[in-house]
Amino acid sequence: MSLTVARVEPSIAGVGDYIALMKPRVMSLVVFTALVGLLVAPGHVHPVIGMTALLCIAVGAGAAGALNMAYDADIDALMARTAGRPIPRGRITPGEAAGFGMTLAAFSVVALGLLVNWVAAAMLGFTILFYAVVYTMWLKRSTPQNIVIGGAAGALPPMIGWAAVTGGTAVEPVLLFLIIFFWTPPHFWALSLYRTQDYARAGVPMLPVVAGERETRRHILIYTLLLAPLGVTPWLFGYAGPTYGIAAALVGAIMIALALRVHAERSGHAASKQMFAFSILYLFLLFAMLLVDRTAGLLIGHFVP
Amino acid sequence: MTTVSDPVDDFTKRFMGDPDPAGEPPQEPGIRLTEQQLRARRARSIAIALALGAFVIVIFLVTIVRLGGNVLTRPM
Repeated sequence: MSLTVARVEPSIAGVGDYIALMKPRVMSLVVFTALVGLLVAPGHVHPVIGMTALLCIAVGAGAAGALNMAYDADIDALMARTAGRPIPRGRITPGEAAGFGMTLAAFSVVALGLLVNWVAAAMLGFTILFYAVVYTMWLKRSTPQNIVIGGAAGALPPMIGWAAVTGGTAVEPVLLFLIIFFWTPPHFWALSLYRTQDYARAGVPMLPVVAGERETRRHILIYTLLLAPLGVTPWLFGYAGPTYGIAAALVGAIMIALALRVHAERSGHAASKQMFAFSILYLFLLFAMLLVDRTAGLLIGHFVP
Repeated sequence: MTTVSDPVDDFTKRFMGDPDPAGEPPQEPGIRLTEQQLRARRARSIAIALALGAFVIVIFLVTIVRLGGNVLTRPM
């Protein structure tokens, strides 16, 4: 009988590797959209409680990122965009990343529940579970609709922020959810258009790999045509002022113009790259304008009787 | 100046052999970390300590905010 003992090398992972595991750029967008949800919600929340909620949401997002990288290490190693992540580079083992992710997930959900409220905590727990299990483990490798359905995880943070203040939900946070939900597919499809080879090599059934570039460009246009009016709905429903409405219509029109260029593009990927870059700015501007609109409204209400 | 010998050390040397004949520190069994691994472990340990410290501060602040002035209200 032979006994095989796996040799475990002591870790050389630095703090930076663990930070990279938490996808800091995704986390920053999650924190920002959650902050907007928290600040536009009716009612008052003590700044310390608000900051604690944001911290828990940030850590929860980091946990989801770590769990995603733990599971996807095999395909990350095959794609240029993700080959530099800590696990493919051999800095952290998938087991370490999974342990790190699960610890952070448990801490963030329990802390949010105990320190803020359990509705927000349940939503955060659901978001992490949805991203790590439904999107990463199930949808990503099995359907070209992966990012459409999986986008729900990225769209939930403003609802969690809202729930942190109110202990529930309403139409307005659902509108914010829908905006991010419909923003996600054109954003990622624009990226996948010029990363098709990467996804094909890794066996990820992204839309351009499965249905071709032409179909993807058509899908980008359809989703952008749905997204642009959705961006204006907070004004139409009376949650934001006309300044927000006009600005949202303007950036929405730019998104549609870019989507039309992507649709018309026959060679090269200049328009797709432009669309991908602007889509990030679009979401940031939309939420920033909502924040400015609400803050300005509060200030005017405070100083003008 | 006289040196006082350690009776336990003498006993060990006489009956079990001198573990350190050349005056070098004894080699302990197990994994020896490289300089890089030691540095990485130290950085991780500091980060964990800072995170735990921050966690304690958050719990403290939230407790104070939640209790507010009631912290002084207690049955006598």
